[in-house]
Amino acid sequence: MINNLKTEWLKIKNYKAFWIFLSLYLISIIAINYIAFEIYHQTVKQEPMAASMISDPYAFPNVWQTVGYMGSWLLYFPGIIIILLTSNEFTFKTHRQNIIDGWSRKDFVHTKLLLVFILSVIVTIISAVTAVIFGLASSEPFSSDGIVNVFYVFLQSLSYISLALLLAVLFRRSGVALIVFFLYGLIFESIIYGLINRYINDQAGYFLPLQGTDVLLPMPFGNKIFYNHAPEPVVLIISSLVYLGLYYFFLMRKFENDDL
Amino acid sequence: MSILKVENLHKNYGNIQALKGVTFTVPQGSVFGILGPNGSGKTTLLGIIMDILKATSGTFQLFDETPGPQHRRQIGTLLETPNFYHYLSGEKNLRIAASIKGKGENDIARVLELVDLTKRKGSKFSSYSLGMKQRLAVASTLLGNPQVLIFDEPTNGLDPVGIADTRELIKKLNREGKTIIMASHLLDEVEKVCTHAAILQRGVLLTHGHVDEILINEDIVELGAENKEQLMALLKNYPQSLSLKSTDQYVEVVFRSGEATLGKINEYCFSNGVVLNHLRLRRKSLETKFFELTSTNN
Repeated sequence: MINNLKTEWLKIKNYKAFWIFLSLYLISIIAINYIAFEIYHQTVKQEPMAASMISDPYAFPNVWQTVGYMGSWLLYFPGIIIILLTSNEFTFKTHRQNIIDGWSRKDFVHTKLLLVFILSVIVTIISAVTAVIFGLASSEPFSSDGIVNVFYVFLQSLSYISLALLLAVLFRRSGVALIVFFLYGLIFESIIYGLINRYINDQAGYFLPLQGTDVLLPMPFGNKIFYNHAPEPVVLIISSLVYLGLYYFFLMRKFENDDL
Repeated sequence: MSILKVENLHKNYGNIQALKGVTFTVPQGSVFGILGPNGSGKTTLLGIIMDILKATSGTFQLFDETPGPQHRRQIGTLLETPNFYHYLSGEKNLRIAASIKGKGENDIARVLELVDLTKRKGSKFSSYSLGMKQRLAVASTLLGNPQVLIFDEPTNGLDPVGIADTRELIKKLNREGKTIIMASHLLDEVEKVCTHAAILQRGVLLTHGHVDEILINEDIVELGAENKEQLMALLKNYPQSLSLKSTDQYVEVVFRSGEATLGKINEYCFSNGVVLNHLRLRRKSLETKFFELTSTNN
């Protein structure tokens, strides 16, 4: 597997578009939090009453959740990265060449999944470091309470990016995969979530593919307002893991059995 | 040991049958040509062998074993079109191929030189001409000096010099003892380099075997005279002839292999009052054989 990862590294090492996109994305995680941080502090400066109503979202322990929540809006970007990298293979037919040269079909999918895992780890590390920086810049001393949110960031990244990989393998073309990814993630899942919770069961909507991890990282202080019937975190974690298992199953089924 | 053994291979694309029960064996050390017009199933066949297509039914073996990735790593393969990362240089693309094969990393400079791409090794693949892309693909197959090579239309996109170079390269590789499997619709190309051939048409294997066995089963004698009709009439009764036909310029008489004697034919014509102005024995070309086989199956 290490050797397969080395091969994948050779593919992306000199791919400028990948590095530019990844750098912009990682900077965006810090930037979006900086903007929110500034807005909060400006608001408190102008309206000191606000501080008594809402505790500082960038102070420990809130900061772990705040940074995770803010970053969750940006998770479409690593999704885009993985869709572009994968559909590139289909466009250039290099996925075929990799198999011809001696990878098994399993090797190809596993290596891409490993890339998804590594991207998720990078996203998690950057989020954690961002949380520590903004937390230390705020009023409260360091606290590891709520550090479980870092794990939620990892799980959410894994869910989003794996779904993106599955869509790229199913649709092969970046345009179609990107449209489906955005439309589903931003619009359709919310609609389905609303409909299911209203007409079927007020908890069922939480078990949609992306919804589970979204609920694990809700807007600070918004848990009870937006997700008042949400299942326990452990249930949502299991639901997310089941989805990851399903993504793996469908990825392998598609790539192992189809003509490439 | 046989390099490749294909048994009763079928491949359907929906209602279309791309391969219909293809069976043949590629012996070690041969240059094995898979011949057929566009759409006859050549690339489908090689695609199945390389595991990028799934056979509907049938089996194949590589090196007398159930095929797996470890066998593909021992084979240098150029299938259909050169598939490389457009944003990477030729050299970096070869580095990826070598990394997957697990060998040949120290071989990159040699193979680039062999296909005359050393000067452009640092240029992006997307900036290469069609011929250069093809040559890079050939270079990639040679990484790590594999004992078996598979080429699908290897001279596609090459200029006449490139075609001649590739032909020479294939012959040279074969002289080194390597087995080469080559699919082509260019009959002339196969005839010039192959020791064995299989002819495919619309997914059906029409014939296969040693090139000499496929080709030399008939002698064709071309004859010309002032009066072609008189010559035709005279040759109708010539003993041992299998068939007779009139072409634009000449009359062609077909004999079983080794049974045509030009001296006797000349004497026969002269003694019957016909003076020949053209007399030639030719081996049946692969093209003729190919058209014959494919037309009888239409």
